[in-house]
Amino acid sequence: MWALLVLIGAASVSAHLEDLSFDGQKVFRVIPQNDEQVEILNFLASMMEVDFWQPDSVTLLRPKMQVDFRIEAEKSFDVEDLLKESGMEYQVLIDNLQAALDAQFDSKARTASHSYEKYNNWDTIAAWTADIAAQNPDLVSRSVIGETFEGRPMYLLKMGKSGPNKKAIFMDCGFHAREWISPAFCQWFVKEAVETYGKDTVMTTLLDELDFYVLPVVNIDGYIYTWTNNRMWRKTRSRNAHSVCIGTDPNRNFDAGWCTAGASKSPCASTYCGSAPESEKETKALADFIREHLSTIKAYLTIHSYSQLLLFPYSYTYNLPPDYKELNSIASAASKELASLYNTTYTYGPGAETIYLAAGGSDDWAYDQGIKYTFTLELRDTGSYGFLLPESLIKPTCEETLLAVKYIANYVLEHLY
Amino acid sequence: ELPPSHFSAGRAAAVAVGYLRYLRGGPGQGLELRALRRARRQDINDVGHKYYLELELEDVLDKGRTVNCTAEVLYHLGSKGTAPDVQATVQGELRSTEEADKEFYHRIRSLEKELVAENIPDSQGNVPPELEPIHLLAWAASGYVIWQNSTENTKFHLAQVKHVKQVKRSDEDLQFDYVLLLHEMVSQEVIPWEVTVLWHPQRGARVPRDRRQPGHA
Repeated sequence: MWALLVLIGAASVSAHLEDLSFDGQKVFRVIPQNDEQVEILNFLASMMEVDFWQPDSVTLLRPKMQVDFRIEAEKSFDVEDLLKESGMEYQVLIDNLQAALDAQFDSKARTASHSYEKYNNWDTIAAWTADIAAQNPDLVSRSVIGETFEGRPMYLLKMGKSGPNKKAIFMDCGFHAREWISPAFCQWFVKEAVETYGKDTVMTTLLDELDFYVLPVVNIDGYIYTWTNNRMWRKTRSRNAHSVCIGTDPNRNFDAGWCTAGASKSPCASTYCGSAPESEKETKALADFIREHLSTIKAYLTIHSYSQLLLFPYSYTYNLPPDYKELNSIASAASKELASLYNTTYTYGPGAETIYLAAGGSDDWAYDQGIKYTFTLELRDTGSYGFLLPESLIKPTCEETLLAVKYIANYVLEHLY
Repeated sequence: ELPPSHFSAGRAAAVAVGYLRYLRGGPGQGLELRALRRARRQDINDVGHKYYLELELEDVLDKGRTVNCTAEVLYHLGSKGTAPDVQATVQGELRSTEEADKEFYHRIRSLEKELVAENIPDSQGNVPPELEPIHLLAWAASGYVIWQNSTENTKFHLAQVKHVKQVKRSDEDLQFDYVLLLHEMVSQEVIPWEVTVLWHPQRGARVPRDRRQPGHA
């Protein structure tokens, strides 16, 4: 590792950070755990120009402190390797500073500009995750939890005011490619969080007391496929051995009664459960993250469409979960909250009897891992437009859904375990 | 007695709505299910399962206007290829579509080139206003297919009109050849279905020919 440091140091002597363009420059966030790791950062700062965003100066570095710094493009890969080798906890706050800056200055001029009231393609969403984190560093940070089958980074947004020992709620969207309103809701949620923090008492308390992990699109490859080839695609885009048929149903791919009901063993079927639980890179990445953060994650929400349902475990069996009574009353109240805005009726209940028996779902898996408050939301509508929900309905759908999610989050906060 | 939230009640309701869309639907009229109020199931030995439903339906073109409906859906035992029997009574009046129907009829008859369209709604859920009647006629056509092909283990919805082509006729009917995408909820398959629809302002919609599109992966 010290050899690496020397190499970086040698290369740095000639470089300088005074370039006018910030293209490719990265901003890292690290938390040195001990004096040794602080030393590494000190050494780094002495060998090359490190622009500290927090704290202001290298002399203020202490263990357990959140440290943000900017590094020029060519150095960023070496620095990342160094951080990995040192075992220091780190994340890439801003992947490409120039892109983030451009976004701030001329967001209207961009070719496919982001809108919360339109369906955004993946490139737009990816860029948005970088921008929203860059614009709200106190509330949002972005990380990568894994890669899709086709090699795309899976971005996760962590929302919340920094604090010690915070519990968290995990929410994902875009499991199924054609359910476009789902990623739209995750984006809406993030927007509401950053825009109403400090203004809305409930949201402020939620973000102060809890962290929200928001995965805007789980099945990125599939989502892109619905934009480029087949609007009705559902599954991932992974290749299946011994078959011309592509893809696995990610919500049949979890280790919860895997493939015992409501799922198909045929790779050509829309509900193909996969070759094994977590056979998909996307589901494995999600499951790994949750397992790694199990002690802090107290609720799991997964957003789908359509049918206007609020479901809780189990779907893999007709048996009721131990927390049935409590989950049922939360679902009832959350549905009421949702309906209060535009009278949209949601049906709620355990998955198996409310929609169908289906094994391998992420919600059942999360519940059996010990995450008590687990819900699947199926958003608007009930079949008139189905997957093709008009863009004009994105706003009302998201507004009402937000009420339900805030209700659930608030309940979780008041019943932490 | 069934809780209306139980999936079997919802599936039977979808069949009833499909049936009603076929019977009452047209370019000027679209019905959708607003609420399932009550559901009862009766198991009849050697015959099948019969569902008694109380539904509230909404006029898509006149939202806020609802009618109540009672329906009976009988799924035959060993339902190999037999459509469920449906009886439905609508209480109250639906908006009259006479004017809209006449206007649509004359507009299409006077087209020089046969109407051709695809992807209704489009990916973003948009339907151009002039194609809305074609969209609603597709609902009526899909209603027939859904009614005829439903079992207790299926729940169909019209996902999209993939393609529609008008076919000029020498008689009084309008003819449209549709390729409809039907979403089957339980298997989650989206199935292309070729449907020929005949329509006339007085005679309503009829489906003389329909088939699952062959060669679908």
